[in-house]
Amino acid sequence: MIEITYDVFARKKRGDTLHHIGYVDALDDETAKVYAWTTYDEENWFEMCVVRRSQIIPVNRDEGPFAKTSGDAA
Amino acid sequence: MSALISVEALSAEGRAALERLVLGLADSKRLMGIRYSDWVVGAPSIETGIATSSMTQDEWGHARLLYAMLKHLGVDPVEVEHNRGADEYANLSLLDKQFENWAALVTAMVVLDGALSVVLRGFSEGTFEPAGLRVPKMLAEEQFHVSLGFAWYRRLAAASDEARSLLRDATDAQLPATLAWLGADDAPAKVLVELGVMPTATALTTSFQESVGDVLASCAVDVGAVEPASNWDSARGRATGRPDAESVERARGDRNRSLFVE
Repeated sequence: MIEITYDVFARKKRGDTLHHIGYVDALDDETAKVYAWTTYDEENWFEMCVVRRSQIIPVNRDEGPFAKTSGDAA
Repeated sequence: MSALISVEALSAEGRAALERLVLGLADSKRLMGIRYSDWVVGAPSIETGIATSSMTQDEWGHARLLYAMLKHLGVDPVEVEHNRGADEYANLSLLDKQFENWAALVTAMVVLDGALSVVLRGFSEGTFEPAGLRVPKMLAEEQFHVSLGFAWYRRLAAASDEARSLLRDATDAQLPATLAWLGADDAPAKVLVELGVMPTATALTTSFQESVGDVLASCAVDVGAVEPASNWDSARGRATGRPDAESVERARGDRNRSLFVE
């Protein structure tokens, strides 16, 4: 089964900056939410969200993880 | 909702019925956690293994809270958790032994964990106050189990013929016993309905069918057409049989028990 890479962002408190905290490979949006919540559970996050890596548009670099869209069938 | 019940004022039948319900839920949660833990190593991906680990922790936390409710009925939870034989376990019979493949565990997330949540929701809305206070948090945590189970079930149903076949076999194996558990309408169940502690067996069954009907249909299963199993043991509040020796050993924490310090 093809998996999709999702980047995970979270903030600890209301008003904090949203930080990139890692990534998960998942079947779809629903499993990505579960995987992100269970994988990055070291904090009691105020807010967490996931973004398909393929939807991130690099601005100033043509290399690096965000320039690649491998594994994303969407 | 009716007025909250007073445990002290319960009849012997009412107390026994409530104890049977709590014990069945607690044992099922304990065994459900063990079944998830079986797949922490061997799940299809690291992320899925972490998720089953997290669900294990959820289930064991829920079991601990449910065992603790037995104190309200004058039962020592420590004795119940650590000193019972296999024949005294009141868990859903499908949790008696390890699931053979990932498709069976995914089905259990949808069917068994789903049925447990239906019963817990009914329990939380009834007249036993400790359930109303403690169960809602369990149900909130269960939302992640539902999301994962539904997503995996739909994905396997749309995958290879082999995956679909394993999923269908597991669903056909799990539904009859689950429907018998939900639909048990014996004397203790009726006592709990009269006390307002639980909804009727019919209401529980309907709620379950509504909650899982669509996702099971993705594997061409019509939950409304499935007949419940007929091996119900009213005295124990479960189907005939017992958890296997290894599961009981793990549930009780037999290994290294001598090192246990309270």
